This record gives sequence, structure tokens and C-alpha cells, in this order.
Amino acid sequence: MEEHVFDLLPAYALGCLDGEDDLRVGEHLSACHVCRGELERYRTLVADLPFAVAESDPPAKLKETILQRARQTKRIPAATPKIALWQRLPSWSMVSLVFILVLGASNLLLWGRLNTLESRQRASLRTVLLQGTAVAPDATGMLVISLDGSHGTVVVDRLPVLSESQQYQLWLIRDGQRTSGGVFSVDEKGYKGMYIKSPEPLDSYTAIGITVEPVGGSPGPTGDKVLGGNL
Amino acid sequence: MDYIKLDDEALMRLIAHAQEQALGALYDRYSRLVYSMALNTTGDSGLAEEITQDVFLRVWNKAETYRPEQGKVVTWMSSITRYRAIDLLRQRGIRPESNRLDWVDGVSPDLPDGVDVELEVEVAQRRQRVRTALAQLPPDQRIALSYAFFQGYSHSQIAEALREPLGTVKTRIRLAMQKLRQILYEDKLPNE
Repeated sequence: MEEHVFDLLPAYALGCLDGEDDLRVGEHLSACHVCRGELERYRTLVADLPFAVAESDPPAKLKETILQRARQTKRIPAATPKIALWQRLPSWSMVSLVFILVLGASNLLLWGRLNTLESRQRASLRTVLLQGTAVAPDATGMLVISLDGSHGTVVVDRLPVLSESQQYQLWLIRDGQRTSGGVFSVDEKGYKGMYIKSPEPLDSYTAIGITVEPVGGSPGPTGDKVLGGNL
Repeated sequence: MDYIKLDDEALMRLIAHAQEQALGALYDRYSRLVYSMALNTTGDSGLAEEITQDVFLRVWNKAETYRPEQGKVVTWMSSITRYRAIDLLRQRGIRPESNRLDWVDGVSPDLPDGVDVELEVEVAQRRQRVRTALAQLPPDQRIALSYAFFQGYSHSQIAEALREPLGTVKTRIRLAMQKLRQILYEDKLPNE
């Protein structure tokens, strides 16, 4: 007998569901806020479990190694102090700047009125280009996300046609955790458009990836990555 | 600035502004947890070091993407550690010794220096609660849970490893998780 999705949530939080169950739960979660709440509680539990592993001290030199590597990493502070433009300009520039701003503002008003409709249309969707990997260098893809960030569609082209035992699987990535966003096959030209089954708003994820998996998909990525992009 | 006194979220904000001392303080706080989790999953100290480096460098590079409303810092870090360790096992086709796959019931050793006393007490209490809860599970549930948790095995892989019917394994894991949740958070499940 098939279990109720509710009974599979503990295993989903652990990431130990087999492909078919995993897809079924993922699909259900996209439409059920009660189960999403339950899932969060089980995820909190999973994150507490490391407190029960046998403890060992890391090697003494490891901290310095990590800090050294952090120093070598090019790191752009999230918000660097900014110096206002007017403070950087020589005084004679101020009059010219005010004049330019007045002219610019009037042009912007006119431009804005002419383009309101077009702007609204552009603002309704956000697109993210996906890059092919070495496994599928000719492949291209695009993710289209709704303005509120809640849902989206992926379109892929020139992906290799797979054998009957394989399908592509889309992964939504956040904090190193991968959630299935759907399984698909492509036509003879490697083309496919697919609505993404996302258990949580799409803009809550940081990246997506597409891998080759057995038919029906896997609980986690197992095959080669063919396309990817950052959200 | 006394970084030891800052809470995790404050440290994350400073890390997002590229403050190395904040990363150092977070390391002092959680390196043992991360390293131990990695070591217990892989059974290899070299891999555990590699994973610990990856986790803290990821924190360094991605601190600005951390959102407190999505969970605690330690929750975020332990998730990254677990998935990174399981990914490594899968990528390299490693099967850790099965005798490592178990939980600890006893009291933990002292925390390292450089950790705030209040935090030390909080972490120690949390650790004790989780260990006590796990000790209350029947052995077969603990074992099934450990295969899923440490090795990232699926239901069917656990059933194969334990030579038990798939349905039995599914039930053991479900019951184990439900019981832990009830003990740890005193949760009433909606279907009760």
C-alpha cells in the first residue's frame, strides 16, 4: 500500500527517499503549506543530530589554514562604506552637475511616460541564463522567474538526447542542499520547456543545476551535471 | 571587539563584511562539531579536514546569503557539513566502516578554549538532550537512522545493507524521527 505523503516527510528531511517517493513528496509539498511546516520541523531535527556524534578535535593547524585561505580568497565586503559623489567632485563641477540633473530628470519623465507599458512587461519576469558544462558544452538554457519569485519555468536547448533508462533532473540548490525541481526528457533537438515544481519560492534558492539521472530521477544528484546557473 | 561575546548572527554579519576575526570566532565555536560530523561520516581524518575547510570557506564566501529567518547558523552549518560529506562519499565511491555508524550516548569532553561560558553551557545542554533522546530509541531504529544520516543511504539501500524488507526500514526511520521529535521538542504530531 502506498504511504501517505505525511508519513514520508521524516525521510524526506533526511534525504533518504527513493526516486519515486521523493518526487511524489516534492510535488505534494509545492501545494501543501501544512506539510511544508511539518518538513521544517523535521529539518530542524536533522540539523540537531550532529550533536550526537562522537566528538574529536580538529588538528591544531586547521584554523590557521582556513584563515589563510580565507585571506587569499578574493572577498568583496557585502557593503563597503561609500563616499558620496558630491564629496568626490571639485566645486566647479557642482553647477554643471545640477544642470545635467535637471535636464536628465525632464528627459526621464518623458521617457518614463512613453515606456510605462513596456517597463511593466519587462518587470514582470526575471531571467537567468544557464551555462552548459564540459559534458554538454553546446547546451543552453534559460530560467524564467515570476516577479514575486514564487515560481518559474525552465527552457533548455541542444541537450544531448539520453538513453531510455535516463532522464534529466533539475535541482534547486541552497546551503549545499539540493531539492528536486522536476524530471524531464528532451526532444530530438535537445529542447524542452518545463514548469518547475518548487516546494519553496524559487528566489529562496541560490542556484540551479541539471544532471543526468536514472528514469524517474534520484533523491540527490548522482550523474554528470550538464547545465547550471546562479539565481 | 570581544568576538567571543557576540552571538552567531552578529558573527555572520561581520563575516559578510569580510572580518576574519569573526570567522575565527565562529571556527572556535563550531569547528569541533563540523569536524566530528565529517569524521564520523567519512571515517577519514584527511577527508574530515577537507570538509571542515570547505564548510568554513563556504561560510566566509556566502555569509551574506545567510537569512536568520530560515534557521540558526549552527543548523545551516551542520546541513552544509552533512551534504558536503555525503557528496564526497558518493563522488569518491567510499563506503565507511559500518562500525563507525552509531551515535554517542555519553557525556562529551570539555569544549575548547575561546568559547563563551554561556554558549558552552547552552551547547552542552543541547548535546546532552540529543544524545539522551537517541539513547531512548530501539537499537534497530538507531541503526537504520544512522545509515540514512551518516551515509545518505536511501530507504532501499538501507534495506539492502541491513537485509531487511523495505517496508520495515521505512517504518523504523519514520518511528525514530517521530519519537526524537516528540522527545526533543515535545511536539505533538498532527495525526495524534
